[in-house]
Amino acid sequence: MTQTISREVGVVSDRPTVQILTDRCAGCQECIIRCPTSALTMDPKRWVALADDDLCVGCRQCERTCPFSAIVVDGPMLVEPRSDPEPVHPIRLLGDISEIRSGYIGWSEVLAEAERCLQCPDPTCVRGCPAHNDIPGFIASLRDQDLKGAHEILRRTTLLPDICSRVCNQSAQCEGACSWSLAGVAPVAIGRLERFIADNMDVAPPQIPSKANELSVAIIGSGPAGAAAAWDLFEAGAAVTVYEKDATPGGLCAWGIPDFTLSDALAQRPWDQLRRAGLDLRCGTEIRPEEVGELLVTHDAVIVAIGAGVPLRLPVPGADLDGVIEATSFLQEAKAALENGCDPQEFCATHGLESFAMGGLAPNVLVLGAGNTAMDVARTARRLGMRATCVDWLDERFALARPDELEEAREEGVEVRFSRTLTALRGTGRVAHAELACTTQRRADRRPKVLAGKFEELDVDLVVMAMGYRNDPAFAEVLPGTPLKKEAVGVPDRRWTASGILANRASAFANHNAVGKLALGREVGLWGAALAVSERLWVIGDALTGPATVVEAMAQGRRAAAAVLDAQPQGPSRVDRVQSNGPGRVLVCYASIGGKTARAAQAIADGYSAKGVVTRVLPIVKVGAAELAMADTVVVGSWVEGFVISSVGPAKAMKSWLDGLPRLGGKTVAVFCTFGVSPKGTLRAMRRALEKKGAVVVAQAAFGPEELEAKAGIFGPRAFGEGLARLATIKEAVKVSV
Amino acid sequence: MAIKFDSPEAHLKDPVAVAIRLRAPEREGIDERFGPSDVSPGLDIARNPRVARILRNRKFQFFLILPNQIIFWTVIFVGLMGTAIPGLNFGAAITWYVWFCLVFVMMVVVGRAWCAMCPFGGFAEWIQRRTFFQRTQKTLGLGRKFPEPLARIGFVLPVASFLLLTWIEEYYNIAGPGNPASTSFMVIGIVATALVFFLVFERRTFCRYICPLTSVIGTIGSMGSVAGFRTRDRDVCVSCKTKDCMRGGTEGYGCSWYTWPASADSNLYCGLCTECYKSCPEDNIGLFLQKPLTSVVAPMRRRADVAWAVALLWGLVLYQQLNALSFYSPIDSWLNSHLRFPHYPNPVAYLGMIVLLSVVTAGAAKGIAVLSARRDIGFDHPGNFMDKGSRFRAYFLPIMYGLIPVVGADYFARQLPKFFKSAPRVIPAVQHMFGFAGTNSSLYNSRILSDPRIINVQVGVIIVGTLAALWATLRITNRELVGVSRNAFLVRATTLGLVAVCGAVAALLYVAMQAAN
Repeated sequence: MTQTISREVGVVSDRPTVQILTDRCAGCQECIIRCPTSALTMDPKRWVALADDDLCVGCRQCERTCPFSAIVVDGPMLVEPRSDPEPVHPIRLLGDISEIRSGYIGWSEVLAEAERCLQCPDPTCVRGCPAHNDIPGFIASLRDQDLKGAHEILRRTTLLPDICSRVCNQSAQCEGACSWSLAGVAPVAIGRLERFIADNMDVAPPQIPSKANELSVAIIGSGPAGAAAAWDLFEAGAAVTVYEKDATPGGLCAWGIPDFTLSDALAQRPWDQLRRAGLDLRCGTEIRPEEVGELLVTHDAVIVAIGAGVPLRLPVPGADLDGVIEATSFLQEAKAALENGCDPQEFCATHGLESFAMGGLAPNVLVLGAGNTAMDVARTARRLGMRATCVDWLDERFALARPDELEEAREEGVEVRFSRTLTALRGTGRVAHAELACTTQRRADRRPKVLAGKFEELDVDLVVMAMGYRNDPAFAEVLPGTPLKKEAVGVPDRRWTASGILANRASAFANHNAVGKLALGREVGLWGAALAVSERLWVIGDALTGPATVVEAMAQGRRAAAAVLDAQPQGPSRVDRVQSNGPGRVLVCYASIGGKTARAAQAIADGYSAKGVVTRVLPIVKVGAAELAMADTVVVGSWVEGFVISSVGPAKAMKSWLDGLPRLGGKTVAVFCTFGVSPKGTLRAMRRALEKKGAVVVAQAAFGPEELEAKAGIFGPRAFGEGLARLATIKEAVKVSV
Repeated sequence: MAIKFDSPEAHLKDPVAVAIRLRAPEREGIDERFGPSDVSPGLDIARNPRVARILRNRKFQFFLILPNQIIFWTVIFVGLMGTAIPGLNFGAAITWYVWFCLVFVMMVVVGRAWCAMCPFGGFAEWIQRRTFFQRTQKTLGLGRKFPEPLARIGFVLPVASFLLLTWIEEYYNIAGPGNPASTSFMVIGIVATALVFFLVFERRTFCRYICPLTSVIGTIGSMGSVAGFRTRDRDVCVSCKTKDCMRGGTEGYGCSWYTWPASADSNLYCGLCTECYKSCPEDNIGLFLQKPLTSVVAPMRRRADVAWAVALLWGLVLYQQLNALSFYSPIDSWLNSHLRFPHYPNPVAYLGMIVLLSVVTAGAAKGIAVLSARRDIGFDHPGNFMDKGSRFRAYFLPIMYGLIPVVGADYFARQLPKFFKSAPRVIPAVQHMFGFAGTNSSLYNSRILSDPRIINVQVGVIIVGTLAALWATLRITNRELVGVSRNAFLVRATTLGLVAVCGAVAALLYVAMQAAN
């Protein structure tokens, strides 16, 4: 490897140097087990880390992972410059919808880029990728020129490598979380490498299962979330019916992403393959919110993947003038116009831009927003012969658009003005002028502030609101708990902290966004997708989390499909539903302070295990959505906190854990507590908190100081014997509706 | 059919885990390194459910700190606003007649017990964490790392701050006690410095690298019988992928003292704050007791900063004893007139004497090294202050560890006269705050012990300390020095002889001080 002194850090020394602060180094080996180049070892005598500067490449992974900040790395990062193929801009933009971005052409470029990958033992890029693609794995295969192997690794976690490699904002995901990016230099071009695999090896059609599964699943929506869920369920032998309100499937990939970024052929590829394999896809069939209940009658499970298709509108004076439209309609109509031989004048005429239609000056289109949708709108407008200006109140450093997309848009003549916000639109009947105010923003996670007294005015002929989308409120009303809040509340999973992805708050290559925090938020959505929001009903994609990305939706779709397959829900039409009523897999989780509740939890678990039930016992600090999703029955136990009779209730840790739980979608739950004097309302408080989350609490027990051993062992089976009878009654009484 | 948890078939198998290919942690040499300093599992008092319940409670440390917080804010207030009579002023009386002596008792018995309840660090930590006891996510302040060159000298900086504080105390006769307001200003100064450090640097940087008491408690506290929070099963800790005890978990913060319970070989840097115990998700951390002097004898890694801290503290206490003798007065006057510093203590003499006495002690260790070290062993290896090796260091470091009980006993003995003579004054001082009792109170004028008996107790303390030091030195010498020395008897005789001489010097100085009085 040759040395490149990166411009970003502006250092001049020859090699990186590693200093171990031996006073503070505790010998925990967090750095050693994660060093990509094995530059760190242990000094067994002193039990501190030892660094070999000759092996160090300066990636700073050790700095990020050391819990005590006991390592300092100075000097350059030894990495080759990143090689990105240049975008192919058409000579004549008007009407051209050919793809802009090109992939790597030959192996030499691929190998050069693959060699930049450090093969990190704890790859932060994998956590940054919403689908958790094994990035070092497929890059290692590429290094061996094993395209098939690389494709297989990729396919384990993604169904849409061809789409994701084109439309993903890698800078905020895998590439933003690449060790090089976190260290401050250009990350490995993961997206380009993925695209090389996808361009050179097609995704095989879904395998038609030899043995049919009796499961019948309805999926509403055919975006990436729906496609992924349908694919996995179909391959597992389930009878899948997909309902799509539009005439063509694909959702946002089909109508929202212009052809110069993602061609129709690619957007339709998964659906073409599914249809050919025999999947029941019903396009032009809209399912209204009140009809979801009917689907639950006819299917064992329903997955709602309707996306977040309601455009956001800026409530400014003049927003209701003619000539103010939304990105959805603009993109859909523009796509149709461009695909049908492109007659810009006809398109303009339909939007009231008669002067242009008559051969006048090119109209000015003001696009509100500078995210990826706004870029799509502006660049499409340019292809329709219009002049496009994007305004966004964010600072340019924190732009939401892909950096390359922003660059490409500017190359194509789009004017992008950051730190501006629209304050009013004026015109007589039709919009003619836009008033803009200047804004300022200090940090990516801070809301911009509007500066007083700084205004400018633009002449506009058409205004397109492209600030993003929100969930359909009609659906949100009937889907409990959606949209899911994506913030990772509380202490982040320490496995994530340990990886170092959270150590850098703002990487320049991720537009100064905290990629770790973003990734953790996505993880919340991913696990949330595995949990039913109510009995036999799952919500995924944008409908669950609010507007997100294609890859995130796809990952959620796969996660939900797996959850459905695992839960094997049975609708009213299935005759064998009674047989499934058992505890299934039991998760006993507890909050213990002196060990008594932990012993009670163990005793309860032993009771189940003795009956041959698969049981797991975990303290609540280790129980997240993943653990809950993997359990059919959850037993929750807490010690009783409070002073004899004052403020008696569940432990504070338990209360906070219960508050942070995702929807439990009809999951069977039992509660218990251990007390010294009196449990008072502890069980009631726990039960209410769980029922609020959609759980069905079927049993409860309080163990006093002397009763533990006597009662705990028989608590589970006996209580559930009674509880399950109650559950059956409840289930029969419940009408299949949401 | 139910799918087993964590089985490959489980639909929710974490794809991240598949892509993680961590190197296996190194375990070679771990038993040899930590075996001698590991404590008996039977001495884990956190196994007791009641103790465990208390330790897990987040309010535990808050309630330890709170009484001291109240006392020291009272000290500040009363010191400034109360009577100028030192013995009747609660601020001066509680601080110098009782507290300082009590801190020494605590460190000898428990180790860093004072650190767990310290109102200075505690107050600053409340502000840094923005809470009295809850586990919060965001801290207040800049969270900077302590500059590496300063961190690298470990205990030397706190010793320097202790020397500075002692000099200030001597200069203004704060601990005399003189003017009670001086005591208040000193406490305010410590609190303000702590607060600044807590707001600028991360965790308990102040407590570890700056606090004047940390070097004293760290070194002398190693005689204590509390080993601190340690791992129950080291293998579990080494395999742990999250290190919640260091990074902080849901229930507790990461160790504020930069200590990993799995690699702690002494109680040197365990502040007994219970955070690691609370945060460990595996319940693999216990609170261990140990035999007295274990943390002096057992550690396999001798720290240069600790050794120099012992030498300098030894120099300081000897200086304090020497300047109480009548012969020192003309020397001080001579120095003051020639250095134009018209006040006791002359900083040059103060520092010079301390360094000289430390160097003389270190010189004795070097003499033992020259006399005893085998010629066929290469002791030298390069490194920084903490790491480098030499023949001198090979002997100096263990010998200084062995001397800790003498130094501890000497400091403790220094506090006894004030305690015995004036501790009862705390009660009238408390009464005086509420408007009654005065210098005519019987307690104000009573003593626990009088002068002729105090010297007996002081010499007794030194004898006990010297005996403890002899025992520790013998163990250390047998384990660490006999193997690298030419003559086992010679090295034993010289190291034990040095300890005995030091003990004798300390005891004789107390006798001389008594005679001077």
